[in-house]
Amino acid sequence: MGKVRRLVLDVLKPLDPTIIELAQQLSALSGVEAVNISIYEIDRRVENAKITIEGGDLSYESIDQVIQENGGTVHSIDEVAAGKIIIDDAVTPQD
Amino acid sequence: MGFFARKLHELREYSDLASIGEIARRYFAMNAFDGVLTIIGVLMGNYAARIRDARVVIVTGFSTCIAMGISGLWGAYLTESAERKRDLNELENHTLTDLSQTKIGRASRVAVVVVALVDGLAPFLAALVVLLPFFFSGLLADIVFSYYASLGMALVVLFTVGAFLGKVSKQNLIISGVKMIGAGLVSILLSYFLGAE
Repeated sequence: MGKVRRLVLDVLKPLDPTIIELAQQLSALSGVEAVNISIYEIDRRVENAKITIEGGDLSYESIDQVIQENGGTVHSIDEVAAGKIIIDDAVTPQD
Repeated sequence: MGFFARKLHELREYSDLASIGEIARRYFAMNAFDGVLTIIGVLMGNYAARIRDARVVIVTGFSTCIAMGISGLWGAYLTESAERKRDLNELENHTLTDLSQTKIGRASRVAVVVVALVDGLAPFLAALVVLLPFFFSGLLADIVFSYYASLGMALVVLFTVGAFLGKVSKQNLIISGVKMIGAGLVSILLSYFLGAE
């Protein structure tokens, strides 16, 4: 099986714990090299976050566990890159 | 990371998540204050009723301490757990998930226990400290000195609680402490006139 190198997740999470804490916890997971979390919508008690994770060998299960432990839910997996290198989606005439 | 260091880190994390520190501080000051004023009432009542037996003062005072401790513990546990459950339910309505087994749910349960302990122990210990001179009344020539020492102790505890609040609000510690002493003095004076013939 190929190794997952990049994951882009759409997550709904409570305002606390903050995205700083969440990013720190996610980046401490084995196989994770970098984490980026950006908020694109904010509500009174919750916020929608786009979480981008890159690394040599990402484990979706452990990432999801950390997110759930912090009260978050993965709404969708918006992008995955797996294999020896990371490639972005190819531009097609339809785009 | 060792076991205690890990637990301490967890507790700090829960404290941040559930704002335990802020609520515990408020309960501590409020209930220590209540405890001291109540025990002042008990002491002045005993004094006005001409109780000159240290054992009687200790028994009435100590049972008052226990009652205040249990009242604080029980009351805070029930009210705090009701409030926390309500807050968690409201958050769950937003996330549409069960949060009870998450860090947020655990922080909420830890907060209830910590706040209940603070709420129970603050009046119990504050009142017990005030009562201490009566345990050593055998060493004093007259029990009246125990009353004086206890009331003095009460004012010292009140000043400490006031200074603590002053530190929290970053205001003058002495002024804040003196304001608390004022409440104690009013209570002592009113009870004194009640017992005066």
